Amino acid sequence: MTEVYTGAAASFWRVMAVARRHGYVFQRSPHRLFDVVVWPAVDVVLFGSIGVFAAGRAGTAASQVALYLLVGVVLWHVVYQAQIALATGFLEETWSRSVMSLMVTPMREWEYVAGVALFGMVKLVLGVGAVALIAWFAYAFSITSLGLGLLPVAALLLATGWAIALFVIGLVLRFGAGAEALAWGILFVVMPLSGTFYPVSALPGILRPIGEALPTTHAFAAGRAFARGAPMPWHELGVAAVGTAVLLVVALAYLGWMLRVFRARGLVTRYS
Amino acid sequence: MLPPAALRATGLVKDYRRGRAVDGVDLTVAPGERVALLGPNGAGKTTTLLMCLGAVTPDAGTVEILGHRLPRERTRAMAGVGFGAGYLPLPDRMRVIEYLRMYGRLAGLRRPDDAARAALERFGAPHLAPAMGTEMSSGQKTLVGIAKAILHRPSLLVLDEPTASLDPDIALRVRTALREISDTGGAALLVTSHNMVEVERLCERVVFLSAGRVVADGTPDEITERFGRDDLEGVFLHLAELRDREGALR
Repeated sequence: MTEVYTGAAASFWRVMAVARRHGYVFQRSPHRLFDVVVWPAVDVVLFGSIGVFAAGRAGTAASQVALYLLVGVVLWHVVYQAQIALATGFLEETWSRSVMSLMVTPMREWEYVAGVALFGMVKLVLGVGAVALIAWFAYAFSITSLGLGLLPVAALLLATGWAIALFVIGLVLRFGAGAEALAWGILFVVMPLSGTFYPVSALPGILRPIGEALPTTHAFAAGRAFARGAPMPWHELGVAAVGTAVLLVVALAYLGWMLRVFRARGLVTRYS
Repeated sequence: MLPPAALRATGLVKDYRRGRAVDGVDLTVAPGERVALLGPNGAGKTTTLLMCLGAVTPDAGTVEILGHRLPRERTRAMAGVGFGAGYLPLPDRMRVIEYLRMYGRLAGLRRPDDAARAALERFGAPHLAPAMGTEMSSGQKTLVGIAKAILHRPSLLVLDEPTASLDPDIALRVRTALREISDTGGAALLVTSHNMVEVERLCERVVFLSAGRVVADGTPDEITERFGRDDLEGVFLHLAELRDREGALR
């Protein structure tokens, strides 16, 4: 008699199985270190050095620029790692032509997403950890000195990263390999508009309304305010939380729609 | 009370932009029955199979697996289904045992490693357990794919071209194991294949599709008699010729 798990236990083990599968892939794909360690290191050295240079030239007023850049790069990598891990996790299934095999299992869609996101958390810890360590060693900037107040900001950015990844997965389901580039590219559109390293008022006027509409803008603004020692910016956090919740709901609805289109048009044959 | 059919598909229709791929297909597979789904290229086999597995949504018609209606009860239905296809690769960066363990977990198995080793043993391939996907021949990958399909002792085993890349001796081993799984384990089999000899040896019923419709359904002997041919290959060639002729007329 084959013993099987049912209910929540079965879901738990399915989530773990997917996470472990992506663990194997990561472990055996040295080039994946680029996303998790190399790009974070490049970013922190680039923006950290710009900040130090600016602080050296303009004195104390500009020392805040260095702080903004370093806080920005740490928080940026929360949203980047969350997004890239989930989106490339699904892309891995398309590259290995596993989509069909996965669809013919009892696994539910949310279990798959949870499994990839779970392993994505490991990548996120590695990526953000790399940024934090380099910032500490190279620029004597300790992220821990900012305190626990940064956690809700990071949590909102994490959820935003996942929401953007769900959009990307929906696009890949619908448009196939042509949409892959978005997995890496989409956040580089979001980054300048979100005022990752500067207040959104620094954007050209025409782009400001777009920036204001993004939940990431308010999360980064909250992070900067908190970093410079201002009281917890509840208003910015609240706007970011509502925006993130809306984005997640829209992303989930879009993904569900694209899954229905994927099944209705027989697009699974692209991956078999 | 009779057990539900392993598979009951009724009135399946699927239109793609290029035209109608499946046109009102009814397909029932009884518990423990071994059925082949045959037809020339473009007959609608793969689309029918994908609709039966819930991977493609039919434009009309219904699919029930082990009494569970798709797509509503997909998770329950799939718990009783094993699927393997000769054309589906193994992931490059996983060992065979890791791959089988993962699918065992997805099927809900408590001891996926034991099931994986038993499945490999069944096909005479326990030595493949530590191999990486990149280290195996296409035949070995096919064998692992079939092992994956039987891991959780499914009640319905769906195999698309299961022995396409296997040497004759390995193909025989697979057929023998599949018959045993069906005879002793009670699993129903739904198989597509271009190897008519294999179908005659393995399946007790054959469903022929042509231009998206069922054109024959019966035992291999009944079908060859009905079409006035010596064997299933003769029927296959006859249907392919008809398709080509109709295509030329269009």
